[in-house]
Amino acid sequence: MNVLAVLEMAAPVERPDEAARAIAAAKAGDLAAFEGLMRQHERLVLATAIRLLGKLEDAQDASQEVFLRLYRNLGKIEAVQNVPGWLYRVTVNVCHDMTRKRPAPVAMEAVPELADLGADPQQSASQAERRRALQMSLRFLSEKERTAMVLRDLEGLSTGEVAQVLGSSEATVRSQISKARIKVRAFMERYFRSNI
Amino acid sequence: MNCQEWEERVALHAAGDAGTEEGAEIERHIAGCAECQVVWSELKQSLEWLREAHQEPIAPAHYAAVRARVIAQLEMERTPWWRQIWVYGLGIAAVAVAMVVAMRPHSQAPPSAAMKPPAVERVADAGQGAGSRPGGLPHKEVGRRKRLPHQQAETILVKLETDNPDVVIYWIAEKKGD
Repeated sequence: MNVLAVLEMAAPVERPDEAARAIAAAKAGDLAAFEGLMRQHERLVLATAIRLLGKLEDAQDASQEVFLRLYRNLGKIEAVQNVPGWLYRVTVNVCHDMTRKRPAPVAMEAVPELADLGADPQQSASQAERRRALQMSLRFLSEKERTAMVLRDLEGLSTGEVAQVLGSSEATVRSQISKARIKVRAFMERYFRSNI
Repeated sequence: MNCQEWEERVALHAAGDAGTEEGAEIERHIAGCAECQVVWSELKQSLEWLREAHQEPIAPAHYAAVRARVIAQLEMERTPWWRQIWVYGLGIAAVAVAMVVAMRPHSQAPPSAAMKPPAVERVADAGQGAGSRPGGLPHKEVGRRKRLPHQQAETILVKLETDNPDVVIYWIAEKKGD
């Protein structure tokens, strides 16, 4: 499937001519038009940022920075179809910058202690607990593995599109997502022991 | 190739990222390997759960908060300098006035003898002896302080801080008397 077509699918459906008009108006300084453009792409930016950063407040800060950069770089975006790809790329960069300012991720060895937080193994296997554990599992991945997995497995981009967003080769991305999946499975196995 | 080496390929195929030929090869291996069958099913299960866990919708208020912050920032950046200048002008004028007042020499001469606080005026009946009044009541001396004609004014400096940290307004007033 065409890379741009899939990237376009990631954003809410809007007719290209309407989106083009919104971009043109925003370029001319129309803030209402720019707000419309934000509405069109806000899910893509905020959801990706939450998955990469793991915290809503941080993700909102990242989203704000991404949209400010979008406004300042509207002149450089030539086609409407390029907006989602550009947003993914900038969101990843902004989130990486924020992650580097924070402490290093917890080592995988710390997982058994986390499992102790759930008092009853049966209770800990509940859906809410599982959701929390899975959201947490991404924190144990390296930055590159997490990004590749979020874009491929959660945002639904193909390995080729992920490679394009990250500026790396498809082979590298395939290796990263493969390792990330193995680590998530290992995390789940440790976390829930016999419940998985 | 042992199963450790198959694991990465199985993980890749778990979400359909292995090519058609490679995928078929992986499936053939899985069909004959109990260990990789477990890995395969656990990988698929954890991926399915991971997607479920991240499908929770984000509340519209969270999007609105981001939009509001971005628009506010852009509006602030777009406000032309000449529309903000009155604020800066007012601030500069206030600072200038404060400096003039602070540097002004004390023009008022030191209090002369004529301006010295007056002596307590004794109200006493000269015809009567001290301590006695016609009614036989004890006499009291009443002290009365006259108000100074040019009593020195006290300067009050009020500092007003605005939302803009660059703008501070000083209000100078003179407090006369008590």
